[in-house]
Amino acid sequence: MSEFEPKIVGFFCNWCTFTAADLAGTSRLSYPHNIKIIRMMCSGMVDPKYVIKAFLNGADGVLIGGCWPGDCHYINGNLKARRRVAMLTEILKEYGIDEKRFWLRWIAASEGTMLREVVNDMTAKLKELGPSPLNREALGEKSEKAKMIG
Amino acid sequence: MSERIGFYICHCGINIAYRVRVAEVAAYASTFPGVVVARDYLFMCSDPGQELIEKDIKSFDLTRVVVASCSPRMHEKTFRAACGRAGLNPYHAFHMVCVREHGSWVTENEDEATEKARVIVRAGLKRVSFQDALIPSQFSVNSNTLIVGGGIAGMQAAIDIASAGFKAYLVEKAPTVGGHMLQYDKAFPTLDCTACIGTPKMVAVGQDKNIELRSYAEVEHVSGFVGNFQVTINNKARYIKTNCTGCGDCAKVCPVEFPNEWDVNTKMRKAIYLSFPQAVPVRYVIDKKSTAPCRISCPAGTNVQGYVQMVKTGNYQQALNIIMERLPLPGVLGRVCPHPCEADCRRAQVDSAVSIRDLKRFAADRGRLEDVPMPVVEEIDKKIAVIGSGPVGLTVAYYLRRKGFKISIFESMEKPGGMLRTGIPDYRLPPSILDQEINHILSKGVELKTGVALGRDFTLAGLKEQGFDAVFLGIGAHVPVKMNIEHEDAEGVVDAVLFLKKENLERAGSAKKRVVIIGGGNVAMDAARVAVRSGAQSVSVVYRRTEKEMPADHEEIEGAKEEGIEFITLTGPKKVVTENGKVVGIECIKNELGPADAGGRRRPVPVEGSEYVIACDMIIPAIGQSVETAPVIKDAPFELTAWGTFKVDPDTMQTSVPGVFAAGDAVTGPATVVEAVAGGHKVVTAIERYLKGQMDLFEAERKEEAPVSVEPDYVPIPENAGAVARARASFMAPQSRTSTFDEVDLGLSEAAAQGDAAKCLNCGGCCECKLCVDTCKAKAIDHDIKDEREIVDVGSIIIATGFDPLDPTPMSQYGYGKYTNVFTNLEFERLSNATGPTLGKLLKRDLNDRLKFTEPPKSVAILHCIGSRDINYHEYCSRTCCMYALKYAHLIKDKCGHHTEVYNFYIDMRCFGKGYEEFYKKVQSEGVRMIRGKVGSIKEGPNGMLTVVAEDTLSGRMLAIDVEMAILCTAMEARTNAPDVMRKFGIGIGADGFFQEEHPKLAPVSTPSSGVFLAGACQGPKDIPDTVAQAKGAAAECMALSAKGIVEVPPMISWIDPDVCVGCQVCIGLCPYTAIEFDDFNRISVVNSAVCKGCGSCAGHCPSGAAKVRHFKDQQIFAEIDGLLLN
Repeated sequence: MSEFEPKIVGFFCNWCTFTAADLAGTSRLSYPHNIKIIRMMCSGMVDPKYVIKAFLNGADGVLIGGCWPGDCHYINGNLKARRRVAMLTEILKEYGIDEKRFWLRWIAASEGTMLREVVNDMTAKLKELGPSPLNREALGEKSEKAKMIG
Repeated sequence: MSERIGFYICHCGINIAYRVRVAEVAAYASTFPGVVVARDYLFMCSDPGQELIEKDIKSFDLTRVVVASCSPRMHEKTFRAACGRAGLNPYHAFHMVCVREHGSWVTENEDEATEKARVIVRAGLKRVSFQDALIPSQFSVNSNTLIVGGGIAGMQAAIDIASAGFKAYLVEKAPTVGGHMLQYDKAFPTLDCTACIGTPKMVAVGQDKNIELRSYAEVEHVSGFVGNFQVTINNKARYIKTNCTGCGDCAKVCPVEFPNEWDVNTKMRKAIYLSFPQAVPVRYVIDKKSTAPCRISCPAGTNVQGYVQMVKTGNYQQALNIIMERLPLPGVLGRVCPHPCEADCRRAQVDSAVSIRDLKRFAADRGRLEDVPMPVVEEIDKKIAVIGSGPVGLTVAYYLRRKGFKISIFESMEKPGGMLRTGIPDYRLPPSILDQEINHILSKGVELKTGVALGRDFTLAGLKEQGFDAVFLGIGAHVPVKMNIEHEDAEGVVDAVLFLKKENLERAGSAKKRVVIIGGGNVAMDAARVAVRSGAQSVSVVYRRTEKEMPADHEEIEGAKEEGIEFITLTGPKKVVTENGKVVGIECIKNELGPADAGGRRRPVPVEGSEYVIACDMIIPAIGQSVETAPVIKDAPFELTAWGTFKVDPDTMQTSVPGVFAAGDAVTGPATVVEAVAGGHKVVTAIERYLKGQMDLFEAERKEEAPVSVEPDYVPIPENAGAVARARASFMAPQSRTSTFDEVDLGLSEAAAQGDAAKCLNCGGCCECKLCVDTCKAKAIDHDIKDEREIVDVGSIIIATGFDPLDPTPMSQYGYGKYTNVFTNLEFERLSNATGPTLGKLLKRDLNDRLKFTEPPKSVAILHCIGSRDINYHEYCSRTCCMYALKYAHLIKDKCGHHTEVYNFYIDMRCFGKGYEEFYKKVQSEGVRMIRGKVGSIKEGPNGMLTVVAEDTLSGRMLAIDVEMAILCTAMEARTNAPDVMRKFGIGIGADGFFQEEHPKLAPVSTPSSGVFLAGACQGPKDIPDTVAQAKGAAAECMALSAKGIVEVPPMISWIDPDVCVGCQVCIGLCPYTAIEFDDFNRISVVNSAVCKGCGSCAGHCPSGAAKVRHFKDQQIFAEIDGLLLN
């Protein structure tokens, strides 16, 4: 059986982390293909239901990327994201989503190398952790939870 | 209507196609519901690529378009425009997905890259059908431009904008415009003098009517958006008005010197200075920092730094004048002040505190009281009665007199002075000094009546009848506190206050043979030392704690010991032992130290059974004094504190009886002279306000918020400050002291005083001696000017904040800062510059004095790439060093003679600009030695000779070359405050620390923040021609905005669905721009679209889902998530 390839959804803010991903590209810093990026204007606009939706759709991990505290293009959207993530993590745990699957990272526009490290790290950790209980594709019909929710 | 989607994937030459099988992705897209055409093309962004889309839209009747290519940050605009040209609303029709930066360039495996592209494309195709038509809003553009930084980039941009007829605000942090370019000597490769080409630009920005120059100013805050920014500028106080003529008379008299930043510390400047002779504006500036700690810790607020500087320069009269601004008794305080200022002196961090009190005495001894100027004021017809002529009474009398009030002092004793006369022994404070200073106060028109006591000879009511408008009570604390032990009324027990009074006034010689003093304060020390002088054969001080806890001054304790006085500590009195009613001894008990009390001092605990008797003939208790309030309170209903002192309002110092004020020991209990003076100053303010009907000012001050305490900004302690021993006053020999009341402390010698004053670090910058004010003929100096904030409206902003030169001190292998003749490039530029420390001569430093320059070097090593192209510092090339290194080589040969050996140690020569390579050839032909190899280390020999060690990588040999001077060509690096600037203006910083341009090739002066542009070295290292070109580019961008007059703002902003909003108002608190208002009538929140920036803070939180960001709506994001995860 081929190795488990986790599916990661990245919600990246336009000004810092999305730009860092662009920089990683122009610097040809290769990283695992597992992450797919959705462009947001600010980490603070990532509605919790987007994260829940991603997990319900079978994502094995969700990464929110924003500017460093103090550097937000919109003054303090990233701090709102931080509060929201803290709360959402607790809720997700209640539904069996391990907190190790849901990351928030500050990655500035100049930190292409950091972006690569984070994606490397997250992919490796999720491989260790195995598929999300809601990833029906990888688990087949084995997952009780998937059945219950699905 | 069903959607008709066109899909296009770009090869990007091979950039995408080399990893992603583009045809396969296009084929996959063509199977997607709604896709009617799917193509792959070599360059989608090219004209034919765009035409392809436009043609397809028309021929296939497309409703939506998805392009998979580079990052949308790159070409989203391009394709939106193409859709727009073909008649579609671009926001409705177009979506772009990134398969290059996020795909082909970061994925090594072709299958994986193709699969990733397929998934991303699927998400884009799903999303696009949910997009809505949006119309960007248009705003007018303010035609003013803000330029931050007055270097050559900022100046050039300002000149260009002004010449186009628009207004430019040029904000420069330093007192002068010019920037680094004007610090240089010559500019490569043409060797034109930078002053000759730079100063005309400076003059132009100073004179052009369209340029508003704000030098010595900083941008504090920026709000608004492209075309409509509001900028808050803080114009820092220069303390010099615009009528300054730049004559420089002020600098000649200024006593304070600091290293001149403009000359990179190779030369000194005064605290009032002009950076360099051609500075623009030609207006001096005073360097003020936080108020010096000595001045803060003086209870009376004396300008300590000011008079210390005056002593340093030998202007003793001005020193005295400064002291007399706050202290009416300079000679007294110069002798008896416990000098809290010295405890806070920062010089102690180097060696020891400046001997401030001794310097005050020195100034008082040398200056003439008669020459201290009185302010010119009109006489005020208000009479004030000052009761008591102690230090507080004299303070109140003198300073109210200086304001023009009529003062009468009432003193109960025969001579004025209060505790100064009765309490302080003559060997510490000679009566002649006291008399002289009191007489000076009286000579200013203060009336004195002695031998009259309040409550005995006159009453408050009587004073009122006599026409006094206000009364001050400064009656001191003269009543001894009892010990409360057995037989303390026996003959031979005399309280210290009474004993001192008797000895001071009558010289009674009343001490018995064996004297015991009880107490450890200054009064106890005075009593002990007076006892020695009044006939006692042995004197012992009994104190209940240890010597460490004694409240007496250290000098007094030491003085007492020198005079043979015995200290019996950890001992308390138990009872007086008498025979026939006379003292024969005192029974004491041993103490040990218990736990600390509330004040932090350890409480003495008696040891049971340790009682013993000290035989003596006289006991002098010195354990405190209280206020004699009885005669006063029978006169009027004064409220007292639990301590028996007068109760006063802590701000107004007014007692419970209106119009009667009190301060000094009568309020505080026994305290120091300087604390009494401090209380006196508060009373002076209060009485003046009382008599002028301005007491409400206190109320206003009380309401003012306490200033936020910020870390004080003092002048840094110079690294080269060497330890200097503290000046010692000379003292009378201990053996000759005991027989006389002559003054023990003989004061400092002139040399010692000036030497100690020179130790002062001038923590506060300017010392406020105000000599400059008197000397300025234009009357342009005002030390009370405050920072001024202004708000200006601009439509565009240019950031031209330049660079910092790297500090090579941490590179210990080059010995910069340690070896005398290792220079940085900027220091060398200043040496070579005609306005620098050597007036343009290239000279070596004196081995013993870094500020002295001696003779031309016979050999010089120039080290390239210091901190550039160095993985430990900056990986980038600083682009200018090779060329200026060549320039230095030429200048050395030119100025020091052809025989001077010049060695250039380089890694690679980068002479890329116009005329640069030719210059390289020319310099080589002048006999400069070029050595390819980076210098490993420099070592200094005993004679200052430097040995430079490097590998010549062309010959493979190790070289060790002796030179007399070495120049480090340091890297250009981003300004240390670049992150602050970044935040203020909403721009970005690259990995190298410099500001990030929007696109490295096609938008080199733009930033992601619309309307904010970059110019010069703040964007990356560059030379003068490139800087000027970029400045002109940035100016052109601003002029384009201003000329068009209209700007489009992206429509991706928030919107609250009025049918869904429940009016919870959570979004209002979250919005960082206060763009949401509550509609009271409809009970819903409404977005102000002119203010909203579309951050989505509201949408991310809205519990009812009513708030959404256009173009980032739930259905759109959900579709993208579905596309990424579901087949």
